[in-house]
Amino acid sequence: MTVVESPGVHAELGARPLSAAPVRARKRGGARRRVGDVVYGALAVVVFVFSVFPVYWMLNTSFLPNRLIRGSDLHFFPTPDVFTLDNYRTAIFDESRSAFIPALWNSLGVAAITVVVAMALGFVASLALTRFSFKGKRTFIVLILVVQMLPGEALFVSIFRIIDSWQMLNTIIGLSIVNIAAVVPFTIWTLRGFVNGVPAELEEAAMIDGCSRAGAFWRITFPLLAPGLVATGVFALIQAWNEFVIALIIMQRPESMTLPVWLRTFQQATQATNWGAMMAGATLIAVPVVIFFLLVNNKMTGGLVSGAVKG
Amino acid sequence: MTLTTTPVPLARRRRLPVMPWLLLSGSVALLGVMTGYPVVRLLVMSFQEYERAQLMGMPAEWVGLQNYVDVLSDVDGFWTVLLRSVVFMAACVTLTMVLGMLVALLMIRVGKVLRTLVTVGLLFAWAMPTLAGTIVWGWIFDTEYGVVNNLLTRVTGESWMGHSWLLDPLTFFMILTFIIVWGALPFVTFTLYAGLTQIPGEVLEAAELDGANGFQRFRLIQLPFVSSIVTVLVVLSMIWDLRVFTQVFALQGIGGDREQTNTIGVYIYQTGMAQGHYGLAGAIGVIFVFIMLGLSFYYVRRTVREEEL
Amino acid sequence: MKKNRLVVAAASTITLALALTACGGNEEPTDGGDATGEVRVWLVGSDTNDEARALLKETFEAENPGSTLTIEEQSWTGLVDKYTAALAGSDAPDLVEVGNTQAAAFTSSGYFQEITAEQFEELGGDDLLPGFVEAGDWEGKHYALPYYSGSRVVFYSKQVLGDTPVPTTLDEYVATAAGLHTADRSGIYWPGQDWYNALPFIWENGGFVAEPKDDGTWEAGFSSEGGIAGLTQIQEAFATSNAPKDGQETDLQVPFCEGKVGFLSAPSWIQWSINAPEEPEAEDGVPGCASTYGSDLVAFPLPGKDGGVAQTFAGGSNIAIAKNSPNPDLAYKALQIILSDEYQSIIGAAGLVPAKVSLAGTVDQTNPIAAAGVEAAANARLTPASPKWADVEAAGLLASAFTKIASGEDVETVAKDLDAQIEEILNP
Repeated sequence: MTVVESPGVHAELGARPLSAAPVRARKRGGARRRVGDVVYGALAVVVFVFSVFPVYWMLNTSFLPNRLIRGSDLHFFPTPDVFTLDNYRTAIFDESRSAFIPALWNSLGVAAITVVVAMALGFVASLALTRFSFKGKRTFIVLILVVQMLPGEALFVSIFRIIDSWQMLNTIIGLSIVNIAAVVPFTIWTLRGFVNGVPAELEEAAMIDGCSRAGAFWRITFPLLAPGLVATGVFALIQAWNEFVIALIIMQRPESMTLPVWLRTFQQATQATNWGAMMAGATLIAVPVVIFFLLVNNKMTGGLVSGAVKG
Repeated sequence: MTLTTTPVPLARRRRLPVMPWLLLSGSVALLGVMTGYPVVRLLVMSFQEYERAQLMGMPAEWVGLQNYVDVLSDVDGFWTVLLRSVVFMAACVTLTMVLGMLVALLMIRVGKVLRTLVTVGLLFAWAMPTLAGTIVWGWIFDTEYGVVNNLLTRVTGESWMGHSWLLDPLTFFMILTFIIVWGALPFVTFTLYAGLTQIPGEVLEAAELDGANGFQRFRLIQLPFVSSIVTVLVVLSMIWDLRVFTQVFALQGIGGDREQTNTIGVYIYQTGMAQGHYGLAGAIGVIFVFIMLGLSFYYVRRTVREEEL
Repeated sequence: MKKNRLVVAAASTITLALALTACGGNEEPTDGGDATGEVRVWLVGSDTNDEARALLKETFEAENPGSTLTIEEQSWTGLVDKYTAALAGSDAPDLVEVGNTQAAAFTSSGYFQEITAEQFEELGGDDLLPGFVEAGDWEGKHYALPYYSGSRVVFYSKQVLGDTPVPTTLDEYVATAAGLHTADRSGIYWPGQDWYNALPFIWENGGFVAEPKDDGTWEAGFSSEGGIAGLTQIQEAFATSNAPKDGQETDLQVPFCEGKVGFLSAPSWIQWSINAPEEPEAEDGVPGCASTYGSDLVAFPLPGKDGGVAQTFAGGSNIAIAKNSPNPDLAYKALQIILSDEYQSIIGAAGLVPAKVSLAGTVDQTNPIAAAGVEAAANARLTPASPKWADVEAAGLLASAFTKIASGEDVETVAKDLDAQIEEILNP
């Protein structure tokens, strides 16, 4: 664990994990080297294509009319003469399907509540685990790790009954509570790593200068935690956005569906699978996440990578 | 504000156990109710005859170890599914780790432009929501209009149209492996890459001057350097791939034979939610929890030891 | 770094604002007790047409001022899973449609409210389809009542069939299909997971699905002599099909409209999909072929082994008031409308068999497809009357087994495995 364990590396990783200049031998030139470059370049392209192809194909299909999707000719690009937004129109506005807009609101609501609460809980818990030393701390840490190993499918029934007994079926709050409980262990664990990376001495110095304990923390440590908070927050957001099976069970009114449950309504045993509309639906769900991911990629990957390697 | 170091009042903190528990109270309460209680219920149900009628309020009957006996003696059901899940997990983990390492080495070897290309590609795959990703792969391999069948028909000249990839359990799991590896590769690659870039440049250069070839450098320097990361990644991947649910569930919805493609998570769901045998599903769940704990034992112990403060 | 922080700040502000809106719109429904309230009806799939839905809603809301009725459409996929949880919760719907073969799983577990003898008489009594009443009974009491029935009929287009005579026995049917089969055209278009179409072959060949033995346990009959004969014939029929061997019954009209199908055995409502216009309005993405292969669409009931009409599977639905219904009285009023002659006549006109025997005449006899449906329904049979039968379906055992038959696996092995699995579920 030499690599990412020191606090300094945490911060560093958070800042620029994927741009670290790698070591390269520059000496031996020559033909062999150049052949190598070509081969490696080709491999890099292969990796890129394999990774991106499903995303590309999803987008491509979503902009093609159904007659071409079902046709025997392949269309690799929705050229202007065939380009259509019909699939999106079907996915969003078709009245015989469950409505998209309410599902979008539900998903956004659940995601927002999950992120805010999970971050708050995780944050204060991580303080307890880093800035204090107390009996039971070790047990708690072990539990936090173990909880993440539990198979969720086995707990569905009980979770359903709990939410039901609180009269929270089909509510955003109900689903949020389940999601928060699911991500909080990870949040605590990751944030703990980041808080650890900020030396307590900094706070203590500030306290000597007259800050209260809370004040010192707020002014000194909190700003340094920004990358960690972003990484953890994005993770919680994506978890909540993608969660599907619990939502299937506890969000059963058509108006309380979340987006993944909505996407599943495209598949019905006795109805035609409209692949075009389905790809449009998948795109609508995926695109916000992809954009978000690309925007915060540095902090995101750095945070998650270090968090996971740490724990 | 000056940064003078002070005699840290550590001792004083130790005397105040109220504060940390206060800070933990929210998480403890939430996890206690939403995770702790269901785990206890799971345990209780696994000793009961608990079916749909019990969900509607009929009192449950205690049946002792009957559910466990039923599960453990079910060779065609439980054991087959378990074995299948383990083999599948092993295949996915091996592939993910090997490919992840190769791509990480590739990222180090190639220039900035190509590295960015690979990074962006992996980010796309990583960001794709699980359900959406699975459905897209299902569409790519669709029996009637899928692009794979279409391309194969063009390339081989034989008709692949109407070939069902999901029907044969072997190709079903091949596609499932695609989906899992595709989704897991970014994380593994980025983590390994982050580890590999921490190796001081001089070490590798010195080795190269000493005449070590690429493979030797990898075996003697790079691999040992990241070995602990590799171990952690292997353990985590094992856990993730063994409890995989959404991908299998969604792919079964697209096609294939459920009976022959269930993995343990889906099997628990089938037994419980679909067939209403909650007691039986509880017993499988408890057994599964023990398997997961066994798997994660190394990881947890190692992590906690590292914690050693 | 600064840029990223800004983005995140902006994003979180937006999500928060959205969250507030979302919460505002998510009020709990008002609990009006018995006087007025919101009645939620769960109908499955597209069998209930828009006309019937509109009638139900309008009539109900006119008869019960202040109350509303919402129809929430469910999918047949995963229906049992969903009902198992949803009906057990406190936010359960009031009135639910359930497949006739699935009803027992719920009636036996107390999921539905009892329909008293008095109510039963009021709703139609002995006029209700007997097989379906039985499917919804449990221990001598009524829980789920018939909603509609529908047997499959065999569709074809004269343009495809040409001069080939319409088969009059089951053997001829398969033989004719084999004659029609080419690389580009299915004799019988039959996706492998569609087991409903397989049962007639079992029955006609003297086999059975599962029967109770004297000691009360169930014996599955696919590996019986008749069962094997049936499965062998099914495999022959599958061999004439170009449909995906693991396919489900989706998109049936698509290959039909391409002229790639000889015979298509399907529920009678598929005629509307086939007869849809080629260029659908933008919103409905799936085109039909009203002017080509749909123009001369005809149907006949599946012929029996020795001529006549085969014993087909009596598909259909039951309808019941959920035990946890918040407004059981209002739900009962909605149930009255659903089982009224007016509503059931619409069902009949749409090509299904109404829930009341006396309304069989409302089926449009001038429509040969509807007439074929009635003929087929007269000889229809049900799946085994075990409360565990729904679990056999939920486990996907039949779909799985017929997928194997379709892909040419050994009939006897498949039959033996299937019987063992069915018996394991039926005899816990």
